[in-house]
Amino acid sequence: MGILCSRIRLEEKLIFKALGERGVELNRLDERHLALQLQANGLSKPYDLIWCRAISHSRALYALSVLNGWGIRAVNSYQVVHTCGDKVLTSLALIQHNVPTPRTVVALSVEAALRAIEEMGYPVVLKPAVGSWGRLLSKVNDRETAEAVLKHKATLGGPMHSVFYIQEYVDKPSRDIRTLVIGDEVVYAMYRRSAHWITNTARGGEASPCPLSPEISELSLAAAQAVGGGILAVDLMETGNGRLLVSEVNHTPEFHGAMQAVGVDIAGRMADYVLQMVHCRRGLC
Amino acid sequence: MRVGVLCSRVRVEEKLIFKALRQRGVDGERVDANAITLGLSGGINGYDVVLVRCLSHSRALYASKLLGDNGQRVINAYDVIAASGDKLLTSLALAKRGVPTPRTQVAFTAQSALETIEQMGYPVVLKPLNGSWGWLLAKINDRDAAETILEHKHTLGGYRHSIFYIQEYIEKPGRDIRGFVVGGEVIAAIYRQASHWITSTARGGDATACPITPEIEHLSRAAAEAVGGGVVAVDILETSDGRLLVCEVNHTAEFRNSIAPTGVDIAACIVDYALEVAAMEPGR
Repeated sequence: MGILCSRIRLEEKLIFKALGERGVELNRLDERHLALQLQANGLSKPYDLIWCRAISHSRALYALSVLNGWGIRAVNSYQVVHTCGDKVLTSLALIQHNVPTPRTVVALSVEAALRAIEEMGYPVVLKPAVGSWGRLLSKVNDRETAEAVLKHKATLGGPMHSVFYIQEYVDKPSRDIRTLVIGDEVVYAMYRRSAHWITNTARGGEASPCPLSPEISELSLAAAQAVGGGILAVDLMETGNGRLLVSEVNHTPEFHGAMQAVGVDIAGRMADYVLQMVHCRRGLC
Repeated sequence: MRVGVLCSRVRVEEKLIFKALRQRGVDGERVDANAITLGLSGGINGYDVVLVRCLSHSRALYASKLLGDNGQRVINAYDVIAASGDKLLTSLALAKRGVPTPRTQVAFTAQSALETIEQMGYPVVLKPLNGSWGWLLAKINDRDAAETILEHKHTLGGYRHSIFYIQEYIEKPGRDIRGFVVGGEVIAAIYRQASHWITSTARGGDATACPITPEIEHLSRAAAEAVGGGVVAVDILETSDGRLLVCEVNHTAEFRNSIAPTGVDIAACIVDYALEVAAMEPGR
Protein backbone atom coordinates (compact mmCIF):
# COMPACT_ATOMS: atom_id res chain seq x y z
CA MET A 1 0.00 0.00 0.00
CA GLY A 2 1.16 3.47 -0.76
CA ILE A 3 0.31 6.43 1.42
CA LEU A 4 0.27 9.71 -0.39
CA CYS A 5 1.17 12.42 2.09
CA SER A 6 3.66 15.18 2.71
CA ARG A 7 3.49 16.37 6.29
CA ILE A 8 3.06 13.57 8.80
CA ARG A 9 0.46 14.78 11.24
CA LEU A 10 -0.80 12.84 14.23
CA GLU A 11 -3.45 11.32 11.94
CA GLU A 12 -0.86 9.87 9.58
CA LYS A 13 1.23 8.48 12.44
CA LEU A 14 -1.82 6.66 13.74
CA ILE A 15 -2.64 5.37 10.27
CA PHE A 16 0.92 4.05 9.77
CA LYS A 17 0.73 2.36 13.15
CA ALA A 18 -2.67 0.78 12.46
CA LEU A 19 -1.51 -0.54 9.08
CA GLY A 20 1.74 -1.83 10.59
CA GLU A 21 -0.19 -3.71 13.25
CA ARG A 22 -2.17 -5.34 10.45
CA GLY A 23 0.99 -6.50 8.68
CA VAL A 24 0.69 -4.22 5.69
CA GLU A 25 3.75 -3.43 3.60
CA LEU A 26 3.74 0.34 3.50
CA ASN A 27 5.42 2.89 1.32
CA ARG A 28 5.11 6.59 1.85
CA LEU A 29 4.85 8.68 -1.29
CA ASP A 30 5.49 12.35 -0.70
CA GLU A 31 3.50 14.15 -3.36
CA ARG A 32 5.92 17.05 -3.21
CA HIS A 33 8.65 14.80 -4.61
CA LEU A 34 6.59 13.05 -7.25
CA ALA A 35 6.97 13.72 -10.94
CA LEU A 36 4.40 11.55 -12.59
CA GLN A 37 4.75 10.27 -16.14
CA LEU A 38 1.42 10.58 -17.84
CA GLN A 39 2.23 7.94 -20.46
CA ALA A 40 2.88 5.02 -18.16
CA ASN A 41 2.99 3.99 -14.52
CA GLY A 42 6.45 5.09 -13.45
CA LEU A 43 6.23 4.04 -9.79
CA SER A 44 9.01 1.72 -8.70
CA LYS A 45 6.66 -0.71 -6.93
CA PRO A 46 3.28 -2.21 -7.78
CA TYR A 47 0.56 -1.01 -5.43
CA ASP A 48 -2.70 -2.70 -4.53
CA LEU A 49 -4.01 0.62 -3.39
CA ILE A 50 -2.95 4.15 -2.62
CA TRP A 51 -4.38 5.89 0.40
CA CYS A 52 -4.45 9.61 -0.11
CA ARG A 53 -3.72 11.72 2.96
CA ALA A 54 -2.29 14.71 1.13
CA ILE A 55 -3.15 18.00 2.85
CA SER A 56 -3.13 20.17 -0.23
CA HIS A 57 -6.32 19.66 -2.18
CA SER A 58 -4.83 20.55 -5.56
CA ARG A 59 -1.88 18.20 -5.06
CA ALA A 60 -4.16 15.39 -3.94
CA LEU A 61 -6.50 15.98 -6.84
CA TYR A 62 -3.88 15.96 -9.57
CA ALA A 63 -1.82 13.13 -8.10
CA LEU A 64 -5.00 11.05 -7.94
CA SER A 65 -5.97 11.99 -11.48
CA VAL A 66 -2.72 10.48 -12.75
CA LEU A 67 -2.93 7.37 -10.53
CA ASN A 68 -6.50 6.99 -11.66
CA GLY A 69 -5.33 7.17 -15.26
CA TRP A 70 -2.85 4.38 -14.59
CA GLY A 71 -5.66 2.27 -13.17
CA ILE A 72 -4.36 2.29 -9.59
CA ARG A 73 -7.13 2.12 -7.03
CA ALA A 74 -7.15 4.96 -4.55
CA VAL A 75 -9.03 5.87 -1.43
CA ASN A 76 -10.56 8.29 -1.53
CA SER A 77 -11.05 8.01 -5.25
CA TYR A 78 -10.21 10.75 -7.68
CA GLN A 79 -13.93 11.36 -8.29
CA VAL A 80 -14.69 11.75 -4.59
CA VAL A 81 -11.81 14.14 -4.01
CA HIS A 82 -12.85 16.08 -7.10
CA THR A 83 -16.41 16.51 -5.81
CA CYS A 84 -15.64 17.11 -2.13
CA GLY A 85 -12.82 19.56 -2.80
CA ASP A 86 -15.17 21.95 -4.53
CA LYS A 87 -18.16 23.30 -2.60
CA VAL A 88 -20.14 23.95 -5.77
CA LEU A 89 -19.78 20.32 -6.88
CA THR A 90 -20.51 19.06 -3.37
CA SER A 91 -23.71 21.11 -3.12
CA LEU A 92 -24.81 19.95 -6.54
CA ALA A 93 -24.18 16.30 -5.64
CA LEU A 94 -26.12 16.70 -2.38
CA ILE A 95 -29.06 18.35 -4.14
CA GLN A 96 -29.11 15.71 -6.88
CA HIS A 97 -29.35 13.04 -4.19
CA ASN A 98 -32.04 14.92 -2.25
CA VAL A 99 -29.81 15.50 0.74
CA PRO A 100 -31.05 18.62 2.55
CA THR A 101 -28.50 21.40 2.31
CA PRO A 102 -28.63 25.19 2.82
CA ARG A 103 -30.03 27.36 0.04
CA THR A 104 -27.08 28.20 -2.22
CA VAL A 105 -26.52 30.45 -5.21
CA VAL A 106 -23.46 30.57 -7.44
CA ALA A 107 -22.67 33.86 -9.21
CA LEU A 108 -19.90 34.50 -11.69
CA SER A 109 -19.40 38.24 -11.38
CA VAL A 110 -19.33 40.81 -8.58
CA GLU A 111 -22.50 42.47 -9.90
CA ALA A 112 -24.44 39.21 -10.19
CA ALA A 113 -23.20 38.16 -6.74
CA LEU A 114 -24.38 41.43 -5.16
CA ARG A 115 -27.80 41.02 -6.78
CA ALA A 116 -28.05 37.43 -5.59
CA ILE A 117 -27.09 38.42 -2.04
CA GLU A 118 -29.66 41.22 -1.95
CA GLU A 119 -32.33 38.80 -3.19
CA MET A 120 -31.39 36.13 -0.68
CA GLY A 121 -31.50 38.61 2.21
CA TYR A 122 -29.01 39.07 5.06
CA PRO A 123 -27.12 37.46 6.62
CA VAL A 124 -25.50 35.25 4.03
CA VAL A 125 -22.24 33.35 4.01
CA LEU A 126 -19.70 33.63 1.21
CA LYS A 127 -17.25 30.77 0.81
CA PRO A 128 -14.40 30.14 -1.59
CA ALA A 129 -15.44 27.15 -3.73
CA VAL A 130 -12.13 25.50 -2.84
CA GLY A 131 -10.64 25.79 0.63
CA SER A 132 -10.66 24.34 4.12
CA TRP A 133 -10.23 25.13 7.80
CA GLY A 134 -12.77 27.92 7.55
CA ARG A 135 -10.40 30.13 5.60
CA LEU A 136 -11.83 33.25 3.97
CA LEU A 137 -15.38 32.44 4.99
CA SER A 138 -17.41 35.63 5.23
CA LYS A 139 -20.56 36.25 7.18
CA VAL A 140 -22.18 39.15 5.41
CA ASN A 141 -24.73 41.05 7.48
CA ASP A 142 -25.44 44.04 5.25
CA ARG A 143 -24.97 45.51 1.81
CA GLU A 144 -21.92 47.55 2.75
CA THR A 145 -20.12 44.41 3.87
CA ALA A 146 -21.23 42.60 0.72
CA GLU A 147 -19.77 45.36 -1.44
CA ALA A 148 -16.48 45.44 0.45
CA VAL A 149 -16.04 41.66 0.55
CA LEU A 150 -16.88 41.24 -3.13
CA LYS A 151 -14.46 44.00 -4.14
CA HIS A 152 -11.71 42.38 -2.10
CA LYS A 153 -12.45 39.01 -3.69
CA ALA A 154 -12.34 40.58 -7.15
CA THR A 155 -8.94 42.08 -6.26
CA LEU A 156 -7.70 38.71 -5.02
CA GLY A 157 -8.73 37.44 -8.44
CA GLY A 158 -7.78 34.11 -9.95
CA PRO A 159 -10.17 31.23 -10.57
CA MET A 160 -10.67 30.65 -6.86
CA HIS A 161 -12.12 34.07 -6.13
CA SER A 162 -14.01 34.64 -9.37
CA VAL A 163 -16.74 32.14 -8.53
CA PHE A 164 -19.01 33.45 -5.80
CA TYR A 165 -20.58 30.73 -3.66
CA ILE A 166 -23.35 32.34 -1.66
CA GLN A 167 -25.22 30.44 1.01
CA GLU A 168 -28.01 31.28 3.43
CA TYR A 169 -26.68 31.73 6.94
CA VAL A 170 -28.01 29.00 9.21
CA ASP A 171 -28.39 30.23 12.78
CA LYS A 172 -26.81 27.29 14.56
CA PRO A 173 -27.05 26.65 18.32
CA SER A 174 -23.32 27.58 18.77
CA ARG A 175 -22.32 24.19 17.43
CA ASP A 176 -22.44 21.99 14.39
CA ILE A 177 -22.18 18.23 14.00
CA ARG A 178 -19.39 16.36 12.31
CA THR A 179 -19.74 12.68 11.53
CA LEU A 180 -17.24 10.26 10.13
CA VAL A 181 -18.44 7.84 7.48
CA ILE A 182 -16.28 4.86 6.55
CA GLY A 183 -17.80 2.87 3.70
CA ASP A 184 -21.43 2.32 4.65
CA GLU A 185 -20.97 2.88 8.34
CA VAL A 186 -21.17 6.03 10.45
CA VAL A 187 -18.34 5.60 12.92
CA TYR A 188 -19.11 8.51 15.20
CA ALA A 189 -20.76 11.87 15.51
CA MET A 190 -19.42 14.78 17.47
CA TYR A 191 -20.43 18.31 18.23
CA ARG A 192 -18.07 21.11 17.42
CA ARG A 193 -18.89 23.91 19.82
CA SER A 194 -17.76 27.46 19.35
CA ALA A 195 -18.95 30.91 20.30
CA HIS A 196 -17.80 31.90 16.80
CA TRP A 197 -20.04 31.07 13.84
CA ILE A 198 -17.06 29.25 12.28
CA THR A 199 -16.96 26.03 14.30
CA ASN A 200 -13.91 24.32 12.75
CA THR A 201 -11.76 22.71 15.40
CA ALA A 202 -8.81 24.13 13.47
CA ARG A 203 -10.17 27.54 14.52
CA GLY A 204 -10.77 26.68 18.13
CA GLY A 205 -14.07 24.79 17.99
CA GLU A 206 -14.32 22.25 20.83
CA ALA A 207 -15.17 18.63 20.13
CA SER A 208 -17.62 16.68 22.31
CA PRO A 209 -19.60 13.48 21.68
CA CYS A 210 -22.94 13.71 19.91
CA PRO A 211 -25.50 10.89 20.12
CA LEU A 212 -25.75 9.18 16.76
CA SER A 213 -29.48 9.52 16.08
CA PRO A 214 -31.09 7.65 13.17
CA GLU A 215 -31.55 10.96 11.34
CA ILE A 216 -27.90 11.97 11.72
CA SER A 217 -26.83 8.52 10.64
CA GLU A 218 -29.13 8.42 7.63
CA LEU A 219 -28.16 11.92 6.44
CA SER A 220 -24.45 11.25 6.85
CA LEU A 221 -24.64 8.07 4.80
CA ALA A 222 -26.73 9.77 2.14
CA ALA A 223 -24.24 12.65 1.93
CA ALA A 224 -21.28 10.28 1.71
CA GLN A 225 -23.00 8.28 -1.01
CA ALA A 226 -23.91 11.45 -2.89
CA VAL A 227 -20.24 12.35 -3.34
CA GLY A 228 -19.23 8.78 -4.20
CA GLY A 229 -18.49 7.14 -0.85
CA GLY A 230 -15.25 6.29 0.96
CA ILE A 231 -13.72 7.77 4.10
CA LEU A 232 -15.54 11.04 4.58
CA ALA A 233 -16.34 13.60 7.25
CA VAL A 234 -19.80 15.10 6.92
CA ASP A 235 -20.70 18.48 8.45
CA LEU A 236 -24.28 18.94 9.53
CA MET A 237 -26.05 22.00 10.88
CA GLU A 238 -29.11 22.15 13.10
CA THR A 239 -31.58 24.81 12.02
CA GLY A 240 -33.70 26.87 14.41
CA ASN A 241 -36.74 24.73 13.60
CA GLY A 242 -35.06 21.43 14.31
CA ARG A 243 -34.11 20.29 10.82
CA LEU A 244 -30.68 19.03 9.86
CA LEU A 245 -28.81 20.30 6.83
CA VAL A 246 -25.61 18.92 5.36
CA SER A 247 -23.20 21.77 4.67
CA GLU A 248 -19.95 20.09 3.62
CA VAL A 249 -18.29 16.76 2.99
CA ASN A 250 -14.53 16.53 3.60
CA HIS A 251 -12.32 14.08 1.77
CA THR A 252 -9.22 14.01 4.01
CA PRO A 253 -10.59 14.46 7.49
CA GLU A 254 -8.47 15.37 10.46
CA PHE A 255 -9.59 13.37 13.45
CA HIS A 256 -7.20 14.01 16.34
CA GLY A 257 -9.81 16.32 17.90
CA ALA A 258 -12.48 13.65 17.66
CA MET A 259 -10.47 10.71 19.00
CA GLN A 260 -10.55 11.74 22.63
CA ALA A 261 -14.09 13.03 22.38
CA VAL A 262 -15.60 9.85 20.99
CA GLY A 263 -13.23 7.11 22.21
CA VAL A 264 -13.10 5.18 18.95
CA ASP A 265 -9.94 3.76 17.33
CA ILE A 266 -10.53 5.82 14.22
CA ALA A 267 -7.26 4.98 12.44
CA GLY A 268 -7.88 1.28 13.06
CA ARG A 269 -11.37 1.47 11.61
CA MET A 270 -10.08 3.30 8.57
CA ALA A 271 -7.28 0.76 8.11
CA ASP A 272 -9.75 -2.15 8.31
CA TYR A 273 -11.92 -0.55 5.65
CA VAL A 274 -9.00 0.11 3.33
CA LEU A 275 -7.69 -3.46 3.72
CA GLN A 276 -11.17 -4.78 3.01
CA MET A 277 -11.06 -2.84 -0.26
CA VAL A 278 -7.74 -4.45 -1.16
CA HIS A 279 -9.14 -7.91 -0.46
CA CYS A 280 -12.17 -7.22 -2.61
CA ARG A 281 -9.91 -5.90 -5.32
CA ARG A 282 -8.13 -9.25 -5.27
CA GLY A 283 -11.45 -11.04 -5.54
CA LEU A 284 -11.26 -12.27 -1.95
CA CYS A 285 -14.64 -11.03 -0.86
CA MET B 1 7.91 79.12 -23.31
CA ARG B 2 7.82 75.30 -23.36
CA VAL B 3 5.30 73.47 -21.24
CA GLY B 4 5.28 69.68 -21.08
CA VAL B 5 2.29 67.65 -19.98
CA LEU B 6 3.34 64.22 -18.77
CA CYS B 7 0.52 61.74 -19.15
CA SER B 8 -0.38 58.47 -20.81
CA ARG B 9 -4.06 58.72 -21.53
CA VAL B 10 -5.25 62.17 -22.54
CA ARG B 11 -8.46 62.58 -20.59
CA VAL B 12 -10.89 65.47 -20.78
CA GLU B 13 -8.80 67.25 -18.14
CA GLU B 14 -5.62 67.13 -20.22
CA LYS B 15 -7.48 68.26 -23.35
CA LEU B 16 -8.76 71.27 -21.42
CA ILE B 17 -5.24 72.01 -20.19
CA PHE B 18 -3.87 71.91 -23.78
CA LYS B 19 -6.70 74.19 -24.90
CA ALA B 20 -6.01 76.71 -22.13
CA LEU B 21 -2.32 76.67 -23.06
CA ARG B 22 -3.14 77.34 -26.72
CA GLN B 23 -5.42 80.22 -25.74
CA ARG B 24 -2.42 81.76 -23.98
CA GLY B 25 -0.25 81.32 -27.05
CA VAL B 26 1.74 78.45 -25.53
CA ASP B 27 2.20 75.14 -27.29
CA GLY B 28 1.77 72.44 -24.71
CA GLU B 29 3.72 69.31 -25.56
CA ARG B 30 2.42 65.96 -24.59
CA VAL B 31 5.10 63.80 -23.03
CA ASP B 32 3.92 60.20 -23.27
CA ALA B 33 4.56 58.43 -19.99
CA ASN B 34 4.23 55.09 -21.79
CA ALA B 35 7.10 55.95 -24.14
CA ILE B 36 9.68 57.94 -22.18
CA THR B 37 12.59 56.58 -20.24
CA LEU B 38 14.45 58.64 -17.72
CA GLY B 39 18.05 58.36 -16.61
CA LEU B 40 19.30 59.30 -13.21
CA SER B 41 20.55 62.58 -14.58
CA GLY B 42 17.38 63.40 -16.44
CA GLY B 43 15.99 62.49 -19.80
CA ILE B 44 13.48 65.07 -20.82
CA ASN B 45 14.90 68.54 -20.58
CA GLY B 46 14.32 72.00 -21.79
CA TYR B 47 10.81 72.52 -20.53
CA ASP B 48 10.08 75.60 -18.50
CA VAL B 49 7.65 73.51 -16.54
CA VAL B 50 6.21 69.98 -16.72
CA LEU B 51 2.69 69.28 -15.54
CA VAL B 52 2.58 65.75 -14.15
CA ARG B 53 -0.84 64.35 -15.05
CA CYS B 54 -0.21 60.60 -14.83
CA LEU B 55 -3.16 58.49 -13.73
CA SER B 56 -0.84 56.10 -11.98
CA HIS B 57 0.35 57.33 -8.61
CA SER B 58 3.62 55.43 -8.74
CA ARG B 59 4.47 56.89 -12.15
CA ALA B 60 3.63 60.40 -11.02
CA LEU B 61 5.72 59.86 -7.92
CA TYR B 62 8.89 58.64 -9.62
CA ALA B 63 8.61 60.85 -12.69
CA SER B 64 8.33 63.97 -10.54
CA LYS B 65 11.33 62.83 -8.49
CA LEU B 66 13.54 62.13 -11.52
CA LEU B 67 12.56 65.36 -13.23
CA GLY B 68 12.64 67.54 -10.14
CA ASP B 69 16.03 66.28 -8.96
CA ASN B 70 17.48 67.26 -12.32
CA GLY B 71 16.35 70.81 -12.05
CA GLN B 72 13.19 70.45 -14.08
CA ARG B 73 10.31 72.43 -12.59
CA VAL B 74 7.35 70.08 -12.08
CA ILE B 75 3.76 70.50 -10.95
CA ASN B 76 3.09 68.76 -8.70
CA ALA B 77 6.44 68.52 -7.01
CA TYR B 78 7.61 65.16 -5.74
CA ASP B 79 7.01 66.08 -2.09
CA VAL B 80 3.40 67.02 -2.82
CA ILE B 81 2.74 63.78 -4.72
CA ALA B 82 4.45 61.71 -2.02
CA ALA B 83 2.48 63.31 0.81
CA SER B 84 -0.92 63.36 -0.89
CA GLY B 85 -0.65 60.02 -2.68
CA ASP B 86 -0.34 58.07 0.55
CA LYS B 87 -3.26 58.38 2.97
CA LEU B 88 -1.11 57.75 5.99
CA LEU B 89 1.41 60.45 5.04
CA THR B 90 -1.46 62.82 4.25
CA SER B 91 -3.08 62.24 7.63
CA LEU B 92 0.25 62.79 9.36
CA ALA B 93 0.92 66.00 7.43
CA LEU B 94 -2.58 67.27 8.27
CA ALA B 95 -2.30 66.36 11.95
CA LYS B 96 1.12 68.01 12.19
CA ARG B 97 -0.30 71.29 10.86
CA GLY B 98 -3.30 71.10 13.14
CA VAL B 99 -5.72 70.56 10.25
CA PRO B 100 -8.77 68.70 11.64
CA THR B 101 -9.00 65.19 10.24
CA PRO B 102 -10.92 62.04 11.24
CA ARG B 103 -9.59 59.87 14.06
CA THR B 104 -7.19 57.39 12.46
CA GLN B 105 -5.27 54.35 13.68
CA VAL B 106 -2.63 52.36 11.86
CA ALA B 107 -2.01 48.67 12.59
CA PHE B 108 0.52 46.27 11.11
CA THR B 109 -1.23 42.93 11.57
CA ALA B 110 -4.79 41.75 11.04
CA GLN B 111 -4.96 40.79 14.74
CA SER B 112 -3.90 44.19 16.06
CA ALA B 113 -6.15 45.83 13.47
CA LEU B 114 -9.12 43.86 14.80
CA GLU B 115 -8.29 44.89 18.35
CA THR B 116 -8.05 48.56 17.49
CA ILE B 117 -11.28 48.42 15.45
CA GLU B 118 -13.09 46.90 18.43
CA GLN B 119 -11.71 49.70 20.60
CA MET B 120 -12.69 52.44 18.17
CA GLY B 121 -16.22 51.05 17.83
CA TYR B 122 -18.29 50.53 14.68
CA PRO B 123 -18.63 51.69 11.99
CA VAL B 124 -15.08 52.31 10.83
CA VAL B 125 -13.61 52.68 7.37
CA LEU B 126 -10.61 50.69 6.12
CA LYS B 127 -8.66 52.23 3.26
CA PRO B 128 -5.64 51.10 1.27
CA LEU B 129 -2.84 53.66 1.63
CA ASN B 130 -2.87 54.42 -2.09
CA GLY B 131 -5.71 54.24 -4.49
CA SER B 132 -8.24 56.55 -6.07
CA TRP B 133 -11.88 56.46 -7.05
CA GLY B 134 -12.82 54.75 -3.82
CA TRP B 135 -10.75 51.66 -4.66
CA LEU B 136 -11.22 48.97 -1.99
CA LEU B 137 -12.66 51.33 0.60
CA ALA B 138 -14.49 49.21 3.13
CA LYS B 139 -17.11 50.40 5.59
CA ILE B 140 -17.03 48.00 8.50
CA ASN B 141 -20.25 47.84 10.49
CA ASP B 142 -19.62 44.89 12.78
CA ARG B 143 -17.10 42.35 13.95
CA ASP B 144 -18.14 39.75 11.34
CA ALA B 145 -17.29 42.25 8.60
CA ALA B 146 -14.03 43.29 10.29
CA GLU B 147 -12.84 39.68 10.58
CA THR B 148 -13.52 38.76 6.98
CA ILE B 149 -12.24 41.97 5.40
CA LEU B 150 -9.03 41.80 7.44
CA GLU B 151 -8.57 38.16 6.42
CA HIS B 152 -9.06 39.10 2.77
CA LYS B 153 -6.53 41.93 3.10
CA HIS B 154 -4.07 39.59 4.76
CA THR B 155 -4.55 37.13 1.90
CA LEU B 156 -4.11 39.92 -0.64
CA GLY B 157 -0.86 40.68 1.13
CA GLY B 158 1.98 42.57 -0.46
CA TYR B 159 3.08 46.11 0.10
CA ARG B 160 -0.31 47.73 -0.34
CA HIS B 161 -2.37 45.59 1.99
CA SER B 162 0.00 44.99 4.88
CA ILE B 163 -0.59 48.34 6.56
CA PHE B 164 -4.05 48.66 8.04
CA TYR B 165 -5.33 52.25 7.91
CA ILE B 166 -8.41 52.48 10.07
CA GLN B 167 -10.51 55.61 10.28
CA GLU B 168 -13.62 56.56 12.22
CA TYR B 169 -16.65 56.66 9.94
CA ILE B 170 -18.03 60.17 9.57
CA GLU B 171 -21.81 60.27 9.11
CA LYS B 172 -22.00 62.71 6.19
CA PRO B 173 -25.16 64.52 5.04
CA GLY B 174 -25.24 62.54 1.75
CA ARG B 175 -22.37 64.61 0.37
CA ASP B 176 -18.84 65.74 0.92
CA ILE B 177 -16.96 68.85 -0.18
CA ARG B 178 -14.04 69.07 -2.56
CA GLY B 179 -11.99 72.26 -2.61
CA PHE B 180 -9.66 72.93 -5.54
CA VAL B 181 -6.49 74.69 -4.48
CA VAL B 182 -4.10 76.09 -7.08
CA GLY B 183 -0.93 77.82 -5.93
CA GLY B 184 -2.37 78.64 -2.53
CA GLU B 185 -5.70 79.98 -3.86
CA VAL B 186 -8.98 78.16 -3.40
CA ILE B 187 -10.38 78.56 -6.89
CA ALA B 188 -13.53 76.45 -6.63
CA ALA B 189 -15.42 74.09 -4.38
CA ILE B 190 -18.08 71.50 -5.09
CA TYR B 191 -20.40 69.29 -3.15
CA ARG B 192 -20.26 65.68 -4.24
CA GLN B 193 -23.71 64.27 -3.52
CA ALA B 194 -24.33 60.57 -3.46
CA SER B 195 -26.68 58.21 -1.74
CA HIS B 196 -23.67 55.88 -1.34
CA TRP B 197 -21.20 56.61 1.43
CA ILE B 198 -18.45 56.68 -1.21
CA THR B 199 -19.05 60.05 -2.86
CA SER B 200 -16.41 59.93 -5.60
CA THR B 201 -17.85 61.46 -8.80
CA ALA B 202 -16.10 58.64 -10.68
CA ARG B 203 -18.53 56.37 -8.82
CA GLY B 204 -21.63 58.37 -9.67
CA GLY B 205 -21.50 61.20 -7.12
CA ASP B 206 -23.12 64.36 -8.51
CA ALA B 207 -21.16 67.63 -8.43
CA THR B 208 -22.90 70.87 -7.47
CA ALA B 209 -21.44 74.27 -6.58
CA CYS B 210 -20.42 74.77 -2.98
CA PRO B 211 -20.00 78.29 -1.65
CA ILE B 212 -16.41 78.90 -0.56
CA THR B 213 -17.05 79.90 3.03
CA PRO B 214 -14.16 81.35 5.03
CA GLU B 215 -13.91 78.02 6.89
CA ILE B 216 -13.77 75.94 3.69
CA GLU B 217 -11.24 78.36 2.26
CA HIS B 218 -9.09 78.25 5.34
CA LEU B 219 -9.19 74.45 5.64
CA SER B 220 -8.52 73.83 1.96
CA ARG B 221 -5.53 76.17 1.95
CA ALA B 222 -4.19 74.73 5.17
CA ALA B 223 -4.52 71.17 3.84
CA ALA B 224 -2.85 72.09 0.54
CA GLU B 225 -0.05 73.81 2.40
CA ALA B 226 0.35 70.82 4.68
CA VAL B 227 1.21 68.58 1.73
CA GLY B 228 3.42 71.21 0.09
CA GLY B 229 1.14 73.32 -2.10
CA GLY B 230 0.85 72.97 -5.87
CA VAL B 231 -2.36 71.91 -7.58
CA VAL B 232 -4.47 69.72 -5.30
CA ALA B 233 -8.06 68.84 -4.52
CA VAL B 234 -8.96 68.70 -0.85
CA ASP B 235 -11.76 66.41 0.35
CA ILE B 236 -13.68 67.72 3.33
CA LEU B 237 -16.33 65.96 5.41
CA GLU B 238 -19.10 67.72 7.31
CA THR B 239 -19.80 66.11 10.67
CA SER B 240 -23.32 66.01 12.08
CA ASP B 241 -22.31 68.52 14.76
CA GLY B 242 -21.24 71.02 12.11
CA ARG B 243 -17.48 70.58 12.11
CA LEU B 244 -15.41 70.20 8.95
CA LEU B 245 -12.73 67.51 8.69
CA VAL B 246 -10.19 67.10 5.90
CA CYS B 247 -9.96 63.45 4.93
CA GLU B 248 -7.91 63.36 1.74
CA VAL B 249 -5.79 65.46 -0.59
CA ASN B 250 -5.50 64.49 -4.28
CA HIS B 251 -2.52 65.41 -6.42
CA THR B 252 -3.85 64.69 -9.92
CA ALA B 253 -7.53 65.33 -9.48
CA GLU B 254 -10.11 64.98 -12.20
CA PHE B 255 -12.13 68.17 -12.54
CA ARG B 256 -14.28 67.75 -15.66
CA ASN B 257 -17.50 67.50 -13.63
CA SER B 258 -16.68 70.53 -11.51
CA ILE B 259 -16.40 73.16 -14.24
CA ALA B 260 -20.06 73.56 -15.20
CA PRO B 261 -21.51 73.69 -11.67
CA THR B 262 -18.91 76.18 -10.39
CA GLY B 263 -18.50 78.23 -13.57
CA VAL B 264 -14.75 78.23 -12.89
CA ASP B 265 -12.37 77.44 -15.73
CA ILE B 266 -10.25 75.13 -13.60
CA ALA B 267 -7.90 74.22 -16.46
CA ALA B 268 -7.21 77.91 -17.08
CA CYS B 269 -6.40 78.44 -13.40
CA ILE B 270 -3.97 75.49 -13.47
CA VAL B 271 -2.33 76.79 -16.65
CA ASP B 272 -2.00 80.35 -15.33
CA TYR B 273 -0.34 78.98 -12.22
CA ALA B 274 1.96 76.76 -14.31
CA LEU B 275 3.00 79.72 -16.47
CA GLU B 276 3.69 81.74 -13.34
CA VAL B 277 5.91 78.95 -12.02
CA ALA B 278 7.59 78.66 -15.45
CA ALA B 279 8.40 82.36 -15.45
CA MET B 280 10.05 82.26 -12.04
CA GLU B 281 13.74 82.87 -11.72
CA PRO B 282 15.63 79.56 -11.81
CA GLY B 283 16.34 78.22 -8.36
CA ARG B 284 13.13 79.55 -6.84
